[in-house]
Amino acid sequence: MASRALDERRAQFQRYKEDVKERGKPFYPYAMFHDTVMSLVVVSVIVGLAVIWKFTVPGDHTSTKPGLLGPLYTDKADPGTTNFVPRPDWYFYFLFYLLRIFKWPESVILGTVGIPTILLMIMLALPFLDLRRERRLLRRPVAIVAAILTVLSMGVLTYKGATAKEALASEVVQAVPTWAKREGFSGNPQAVAGAKLFAQSGCTACHTYLGTGSSNLGAPDLTAIGKGNQGAQFFSSYVSNPRQFGNKVMPVFGNLGSQQNIHNIGVFLSVSKGPK
Amino acid sequence: MEPLNGDDRPHLPPPSLWPVGFAVGVACVLVGLIVDPLVVVPIGVAILLVFGFLWARDATKGYRAPVPDLEPETRRPGREAPPIPAHVGEAAMPEPEPGEIERFPRSKFLEFSTLGLGGVIGGIVTIPILGPMVANPFRHEKHGKLDLGPLSDFPSGQWMIATFMTDPAEGEVTRRTAYIRNNGESNGEPSFTIISNRCAHLGCPVQPNGPVFDNKKKVERTKGAGDVTLIPMLPAGGFGCPCHGGQYNPEGNRTAGPPVRALDRYDYSIVGGHLVLGKTYSVSKVDGTGAQAKIHRYGLANPGNHVDGPEAWLYPLQPPH
Amino acid sequence: MPRSRKSARRQRMEAAINYPIEWLEERSGLIGGVRYFLFRKVPSDTNWMQTLGSATLTAFIVQAVTGAILAMYYKPDPNSAYQSIQHITNDVWLGWLVRGMHRWGASVFIILMFFHMARVFLFGAYKYPRELNWIVGVLLLALGMLEGFTGYLLPWDQTAYWATVVGININGTAPFLGPFLAQFLRGGAEIGPDTLARFYSIHMLLIPGALIGLIGLHLYLVVRLGVTSPPWSKEAAGAERVEKPKRGRRGLLMPGARGGIPR
Repeated sequence: MASRALDERRAQFQRYKEDVKERGKPFYPYAMFHDTVMSLVVVSVIVGLAVIWKFTVPGDHTSTKPGLLGPLYTDKADPGTTNFVPRPDWYFYFLFYLLRIFKWPESVILGTVGIPTILLMIMLALPFLDLRRERRLLRRPVAIVAAILTVLSMGVLTYKGATAKEALASEVVQAVPTWAKREGFSGNPQAVAGAKLFAQSGCTACHTYLGTGSSNLGAPDLTAIGKGNQGAQFFSSYVSNPRQFGNKVMPVFGNLGSQQNIHNIGVFLSVSKGPK
Repeated sequence: MEPLNGDDRPHLPPPSLWPVGFAVGVACVLVGLIVDPLVVVPIGVAILLVFGFLWARDATKGYRAPVPDLEPETRRPGREAPPIPAHVGEAAMPEPEPGEIERFPRSKFLEFSTLGLGGVIGGIVTIPILGPMVANPFRHEKHGKLDLGPLSDFPSGQWMIATFMTDPAEGEVTRRTAYIRNNGESNGEPSFTIISNRCAHLGCPVQPNGPVFDNKKKVERTKGAGDVTLIPMLPAGGFGCPCHGGQYNPEGNRTAGPPVRALDRYDYSIVGGHLVLGKTYSVSKVDGTGAQAKIHRYGLANPGNHVDGPEAWLYPLQPPH
Repeated sequence: MPRSRKSARRQRMEAAINYPIEWLEERSGLIGGVRYFLFRKVPSDTNWMQTLGSATLTAFIVQAVTGAILAMYYKPDPNSAYQSIQHITNDVWLGWLVRGMHRWGASVFIILMFFHMARVFLFGAYKYPRELNWIVGVLLLALGMLEGFTGYLLPWDQTAYWATVVGININGTAPFLGPFLAQFLRGGAEIGPDTLARFYSIHMLLIPGALIGLIGLHLYLVVRLGVTSPPWSKEAAGAERVEKPKRGRRGLLMPGARGGIPR
């Protein structure tokens, strides 16, 4: 059987060579013309991207502000930084997001080494997994499904990686006046102070508030947490010791400087009744 | 004597090495004029004279004696070796088996020695390549004592962000950050919690979950650690990683997300009233808090490597640090 | 009479122009090779999608040229790398363009590699006898991504540094040898003064050398094995003859189509 398949493959390649010899066209200039046009497009796109990159950067030329295609450079590398959010280049976003998906210590190795290695192995072994001669798309259903799934999952992972946000304390604090306006607690100094502390204390590393923050760890959205009218005292005691309320995941914030600080956060959460 | 057919031997004097020596003499005189005219110039003149004489003697040889006829390098039929008899030469060799190239002992020897010599060359070239490329990164590095300044900079119970250089001579590339809390006295000794900011997941810089008092920043220049920056802070919610969302409590224990162990810690000692950092070590978890904390300590491991539990057998060895 | 004189002069001129080519051909045989490469037959139904491979090669050449120019101004030292990037971007005349082309050419190169790979997959062009070329292509893709990874560190800004920290530590989680691999990449226990120069050397000497060799092999195999026809083509080279229909369906070679292409 195997030898018959081999014979058929050889015969097909023989036919291919004869067909090309008989009916083919010379590479130059027919095919090469198309190649040249395509290469011109490629070079133009590269130059175009470089120009757009440079000329959409606002401010003077030493600025690290992003233009349409991102900044010319970010700040100089600081190995001792405590407020930087690292991101890879876009073509590693899929891997970056894969690492966020595997958020259990036992599964870290799957995201870092396991899945990329398996993908590489499958790619290398592809010609030996698919031994049929059939090349027409509609007769290769498995290949089609695999291709669509691969493209979809890579696309989704890249998109999720590109839009994954972390909430840096300094940036979240700037959003506090907007929060106060939209939630309508601008006139309540305790709530505003609590919101500031909420923003600084890394609460948005797990929670989201009016779209700011990270939902990766599955903590609830706090935009409208005060709707149930539990009152500031409830939230204060919850934040200072979530264990009392059966929450074993959330960090204990009891040591937030002073009792006043805890109370301010409680007030802030109790007046958060959703955007008005 | 036959006529020399097509033998276009040029009628020039044969090559001679004497002019080279003559040139050396000239060079010697010229150099001597600059360096030391009294010693070097006479030597150069002597060389000049000797080689000049020899050259002149050589060049005038043709006039002093007849040139003997040189044997031209042409091949003549009469001079060829006699044909090899059929029973010893190539013709006597057996026909090689079809499909197999006949090997002679000599060609086998050449083959093996070529391969062997090639291997020797490969070895000679490869070993020096492997040295700096592969072996050098694994040499033990010297750890300086990192002086972070006087104890008075670390009030009891106060968390500090300390950034310092592990090797000030190399510059900013060695800057590192640690989160330090003075736990107060324990058994008459000052006790510190010193946590590395390197995430135990993949090494990103973890950030304190709580207010940082940038306005109370203090910079202290020390001998061992360059400019040490100290910023008070209040990591009430512990520490969080901005990359993949790992969360830690203030003792460095993992509370959520992918980190495989607790945050690494620094050894420390008190020398002359100063806080001095030692080596870094890895921690699986910490029981208790502050000075009473019981630290499950392991040798420094790469981020993402388990130090305990069943996964630890995936990482049996760590390179020397 | 004047006409023949003119043509004689013309002949002499042509001979003079052709002389260097003939000189080169006589001594190297290279012209014959180039001629074989250019005038080899390809199937008459090749498709625009089949220009992606040569487009990738163009992007690679852009990378090689712009990279060589950047190397004239770049300083692979942690204390001066960032300043040299600023110098290239702001002071060197058109330096921003060369740097921009290298930075975005990298993305274009990677995208084109993926597109080219998708084309080969859709055409089934990895099947017998082109398996080896697919494997070489996968290696080229892996090396291209490695180029992206090692090049990302060189600007020595915050994104560069921390992406590299994570990248190295990802390698460090490989079982057993991972920590050693990470230390090998870092050139020491920590990212230090040697790491940048190490990445620079890998980025601009080691991997490009391997890439150029593999691209040569890739092209050699393309020339040797030929280009596939699109699988849906009615006159696909190598399709089953209609005279002995095996599954007798549409899409196979029609008798009328034979010899229909002017040569």
